[in-house]
Amino acid sequence: MAFRLDLLLITLALILSPVLSDLIFTKVDRRIDLTSQIVRVSSTIRVENEGTDVVSEVLLAFPEEQAKYLAHIQATLKEGKGKTKGPAINFPVDVVYPKEIPPALKFYSVSLPKGLNKGDSLTFDVLAVFTHVLRPFPETITQGDVQFVVFLDSAYFLSPYTVKVQSLSVKLPEARIESYTKLENTKIHGSEIKYGPYENLPPYSFTPIRFHFENNKPFPVAQELVREIEISHWGSIQITEHYNLVHGGAQSRGEFSRLDYQARPYAKGASAFRNLVVKLPPRTHSVYYRDEIGNISTSHLWGDSKKTELEIEPRYPLFGGWRTSFTIGYSLPLQDFLFQDQGKRFLSISFGSPINEVVIDRLVVMVVLPEGSSDISVSVPFSHKQWYETKFSHLDISGRPVVVLEKEKVVPEHNQHFQVYYKFNSISMLREPVMLIFGFFILFVSCIIYMHSDMSISKSSASYLAKLQWDEVQTVIQQVQNVINRCLTTHDKLEASLRDLSRTGDVQACKAARKTVEASLKELSKELKPLISFLQSSQQATQILPKVEELVAKERELQERLVAKHTTVVDCYEKKLGGREIENKVTSQQQRITTLRQEVDDLLEFIDEI
Amino acid sequence: MAPKPVTSPVPEAWYPTLAVLMISVGLIVTASFFIYEATSSRKNRSLAKELTRGTIASIFLGFGSLFLLLASGVYV
Repeated sequence: MAFRLDLLLITLALILSPVLSDLIFTKVDRRIDLTSQIVRVSSTIRVENEGTDVVSEVLLAFPEEQAKYLAHIQATLKEGKGKTKGPAINFPVDVVYPKEIPPALKFYSVSLPKGLNKGDSLTFDVLAVFTHVLRPFPETITQGDVQFVVFLDSAYFLSPYTVKVQSLSVKLPEARIESYTKLENTKIHGSEIKYGPYENLPPYSFTPIRFHFENNKPFPVAQELVREIEISHWGSIQITEHYNLVHGGAQSRGEFSRLDYQARPYAKGASAFRNLVVKLPPRTHSVYYRDEIGNISTSHLWGDSKKTELEIEPRYPLFGGWRTSFTIGYSLPLQDFLFQDQGKRFLSISFGSPINEVVIDRLVVMVVLPEGSSDISVSVPFSHKQWYETKFSHLDISGRPVVVLEKEKVVPEHNQHFQVYYKFNSISMLREPVMLIFGFFILFVSCIIYMHSDMSISKSSASYLAKLQWDEVQTVIQQVQNVINRCLTTHDKLEASLRDLSRTGDVQACKAARKTVEASLKELSKELKPLISFLQSSQQATQILPKVEELVAKERELQERLVAKHTTVVDCYEKKLGGREIENKVTSQQQRITTLRQEVDDLLEFIDEI
Repeated sequence: MAPKPVTSPVPEAWYPTLAVLMISVGLIVTASFFIYEATSSRKNRSLAKELTRGTIASIFLGFGSLFLLLASGVYV
């Protein structure tokens, strides 16, 4: 197929010589890197305008066969030389379809923003990255075989312009080279093959070259990768990545012996790979690695202030054509990736997979924004498909807005930062706690309603009436208890005034205190009267009544005793008697008071338990 | 104006402590609410008291459970 194409191109080159413009390439240095599964072609091109008009675009041509595997292309202008290199400027590169397009060729146009005046020249770099262009040959191998691949290209730089001087160097992995095309001016240096220099070649010059070499580098291809990036303003960005991985090299044939593989992994499984290295940002935490049936324990994690590295091993070594699917997840600190600028928040995070040298056939990036985000816009430095969805997660009402980005053929060169801008009001963060608070509040309110409601069906039955009466009795008893407790606190006040007296000797103040206490005690006994009379009239209370009455009586006695003691002490003070005499006088009273207080407390406790 | 990093309103390191503190306070208030419900007779109960206890308890339990979720890694 490829050879037929080559023939076609050579004929094309002869027939077609349309002069697209008056540009010529004065020097082209092309380097092809074949050391991994991803083919990187970088060319340094010196272009000169020999015409009279200002030219603002330069065309690059690729055979269609190759162009369909093109994953990434970028053109960079390098200003200055050596150490005085300025910042690299990227030129926009677009697919174009010029008139009189030669078939089987695809054109990319590099736009020069400043244009190229007559006689001027410019040097720029073009990096083209291809995936799946290394064809395994033989296509199927056994466990013990090494993997050979074939790569096809042209020794001459395929271009719609005349190329004055050009050279090509091909870097192969440090292993056996089965065969390569020998042309004039071909030199081999270890694993590097050099072609050229070739001079003054007309447009569309093409000479096929073919490399057949050993390549045992891992060929991990993620047929589908779904990355879900979930932002929580409570301090975390959570990333979940679902991989559907396959070994993209030569298909494995025959049987697999785990014993052989385990004993001599380099001889019996040279093309297989058993682990993958995931390069995560620094301060990554909560990392997990699992698949459908649970956690996979074969992983290692280490990190320092610059990066976090995760080494994962699938459940089995991957041979050609074998697949595995797994999920890794990790959390990143919010402040490293989420920023605020001019009233808008934006997420700036890497687009592609963090796994080293993995080719992704279809990548879906889902950015889940917090509920309540609006005005969403996305800035991605390369072409992609994009749409919006809604996701429901913990404590959501209206759902979280999701930006979905889809891109096919993703290579590590796409691991650039992209931005998602959105507006968010900080008050919306309170949604979740308010929802939780409301939930608990409903629980309490329903308890209150239950306790207040009367669920009985027959409102006139005897037991129901008895219950109602008993409720009333209980209410009254609680009120009695309440009054008694207040009496006891008032007693404490009286005692306190005595202590004040012994400290300050202020008899008048003590008397005044006694007056107020007596007044309030009177008030309380007035309050008590209707309650007692209700209890006496109520049938339900017959059992408890004696106890209540006893309590009231004891309390009254306690009151009297206390007042008596108080009077005695105050009198003694007025007569200026010594401390010991006072003590002698009140000892008996004090004893009675203590026992009474104890009895009152016991009674209160007894009633409380009913 | 350069972009400013966005941080969480509460430092993440406080989440476990806050969760424990607020949930325990919330549970204590809840307990007092239920003790009040169970011990006071129907006539003596005051609705205002019940509602204030319920509100305080639910505020503490609500924030407490939020911080518990956050501390255990469920970022809401």
